Amino acid sequence: MNSSVNRIVIVGGGTAGWLSAGIIAAEHFIAEHSASDAQSSQGFQLCLIESPDIPTIGVGEGTWPSMRSTLQKMGISETEFFRECSVSFKQGTQFYGWITGKDDTYAHPFTLPHKYSETNLAPHWQSVRDRVKFADAVCPQSRLFGDKLAPKNIATPEYAFNLNYGYHLDAGKFADFLRKHCVKKLGVVHISANMTAVNSSDNGDIVSVTTDSHGAIEGDLFIDCSGSQALLLGEHYGISLVSKKQYLFNDSALAAQVPYQNAEDPIQSCTLSTAQSAGWIWDIGLPSRRGIGHTYSTDHHTEEAARTELLNYIAATAGEQAAADANLRKITFDPGHREKFWHRNCVAIGMASGFIEPLEASALVLVELSATMIAEQLPANRQIMDLVAKRFNDKFLYRWDRIIDFLKLHYVLTRRRDSEYWIHNCETSSIPDSLQELLAIWQYQAPWHRDTSHIDEMFPSASFQYVLYGMGFTTQTDPMQRRADRETAKMAMSLFRENTQRTEQLINSLPTNRELIDKIYKYGFQKI
Amino acid sequence: MSNYVILSPSAHKNTKVITERGAVYGDQVKYAVTYPLEFRNIQSSYPIFFSKSSETGEFFPVALLGFENNENLFLSDTGWDAAYIPMMVERQPFLIGFQTSDEVEEGKKPVVSIDMDSPKVSEDQGEALFTEDEQPTEFLKSMMIRLEALHQGYEHNKGFIVSLAAIDLLEPFTLEITLDDGSTNQLLGFYTINEPKLAELDGDTLADLNTKGYLQPIYMAVASHARVRALIEKKNALLR
Repeated sequence: MNSSVNRIVIVGGGTAGWLSAGIIAAEHFIAEHSASDAQSSQGFQLCLIESPDIPTIGVGEGTWPSMRSTLQKMGISETEFFRECSVSFKQGTQFYGWITGKDDTYAHPFTLPHKYSETNLAPHWQSVRDRVKFADAVCPQSRLFGDKLAPKNIATPEYAFNLNYGYHLDAGKFADFLRKHCVKKLGVVHISANMTAVNSSDNGDIVSVTTDSHGAIEGDLFIDCSGSQALLLGEHYGISLVSKKQYLFNDSALAAQVPYQNAEDPIQSCTLSTAQSAGWIWDIGLPSRRGIGHTYSTDHHTEEAARTELLNYIAATAGEQAAADANLRKITFDPGHREKFWHRNCVAIGMASGFIEPLEASALVLVELSATMIAEQLPANRQIMDLVAKRFNDKFLYRWDRIIDFLKLHYVLTRRRDSEYWIHNCETSSIPDSLQELLAIWQYQAPWHRDTSHIDEMFPSASFQYVLYGMGFTTQTDPMQRRADRETAKMAMSLFRENTQRTEQLINSLPTNRELIDKIYKYGFQKI
Repeated sequence: MSNYVILSPSAHKNTKVITERGAVYGDQVKYAVTYPLEFRNIQSSYPIFFSKSSETGEFFPVALLGFENNENLFLSDTGWDAAYIPMMVERQPFLIGFQTSDEVEEGKKPVVSIDMDSPKVSEDQGEALFTEDEQPTEFLKSMMIRLEALHQGYEHNKGFIVSLAAIDLLEPFTLEITLDDGSTNQLLGFYTINEPKLAELDGDTLADLNTKGYLQPIYMAVASHARVRALIEKKNALLR
């Protein structure tokens, strides 16, 4: 039997389901299709079954810069996206209290250090480290988002930028927006129904899923976007979750939507991440409201204590009234990922594949990467699918390990000893071996291109630099020892100066995040 | 900086406007904003390109006058050397706006303002604006007619630009010119009609553009590119 893989069924909506549908449909269904065409055609079919009864979790409110090209490929107008999904610009993350817990801060901007492909500025920064923060020395972006400025102006074409950016968005509105686009423009068939049964063939593949209102839906490949329940991969196939709680302790979150005190209050153009006694608080500025939440470890904190810290933060940054009015939503999760993600003819994306604290907004980017790999390597037939599945599993297990290493890096460099949580985070047993090795190497050489073993690495080595040197890590390099470094030393000083000039120039020319968003509502971006 | 005030017979009975052209009167500019209703006249002397507003990101057509900032190659000691002067240059130092009013039927009353800080505004030379008995002079009357035409042209241009953008008919371009002395000038940040795309437009789209009066100006803009050569010649002449 040589059965072709033409019918794709996505189980579950939400941002994971609709983003996956859009990415796959943009790759395979670019020609216009009506819903009836898609069902009868011999070519690819893509349908998404969404329960009308299950609300989406909607926690992923921060994206990576990769979302720009993802949306562009799907044929989405950036202007419409801004207008319909409460979008603001995200240029990175500003961390508070992670080093000492007392008035310390550092930035992880999305833009790479100046001339990063040619020169590694990190060794040269060591000599000026007492005078200027690493991110400020090598890149204009941290100062820009410090001033709540936008990464571009209204005359910049859509998706283009002066400084690399991603988005903050309203996840609920985003899922609705993607649904409309997928159905109207990309030929995705939307089935509003509850799944009641999974039907297997003799060989163990899923042949169809039964729904309460649309009968059995047959398919060749089933994508599980059903959220943390993982109805197909987890419940049906019994692929278990591998807990990573020994490395990353946070397993609960309290989330709130907080209004601005004044309609004209500035909108942050980075995520704010403020360390607490047993976790950290995220603060995401949308044009209409802020999304604020506290993710913490239940082994180290009671819900009551976490709630108090969160309300204190809201009171301090949005006023007592906002704290009194805050409606907190509790989310619990087992930090970790499935043992594998693709099993037989079923692959999981989104929370069905795993979930970890949103410290570096890895949730949506994993959806993008997973759906893109499926779209690009969509097996032609069932025979080849097991090979594609193996590649997919290898790649995403590797990616999860890199995410865990990178998130853990934020914790292990702390000097905080004010609670068990921070003390436990620094214990060797809680640090993955792979990260311990990296830390050992970085004591003697700064991360750079040599640290990326894969061409499509999750985090660029620059991200490691920003966190390492932002948190005060010392690399004992002698920039004058290597011949190449001696030559670049002069170059480095002029690059630092160039960066300072460029920073001043951008600060003087870019609008604020709110000003630009208002202009997008009024005029929109041009395509060119 | 500009200092626009609403024009009135009482406040401006002694105000005069200098009609000569020259660098001292603020005419030393690289381009003048134009609009499709005057493209026919513009293309006889100037290349027409499109620029983008830094305030709104919206496109607007321009008549190119020079290759560098503050360079107007049409300006000489004897004035502005061209058969037609762009309306946006002609209208200076005036502006037209509309005020909501009960007096007129459409509810909008044209209001003319004057830039009192313009070097063209004087008390002792130039054309008077009002007569002794506070009536507009012939000069001001002819200016008002131009201002109204300008306003119409501006409104018409809005639809024109939206239509061009909707069918992706504009594209960025860089003009690199080499002068007789071997030096090169690069013109950045302008946009132009995408001619291959224009040639591929289907009948319905062309008919729609034609009905709205946009088709002719599109071809006028394309034809105007022939004026780039003349502009380069003017620049070369300065080197000799």
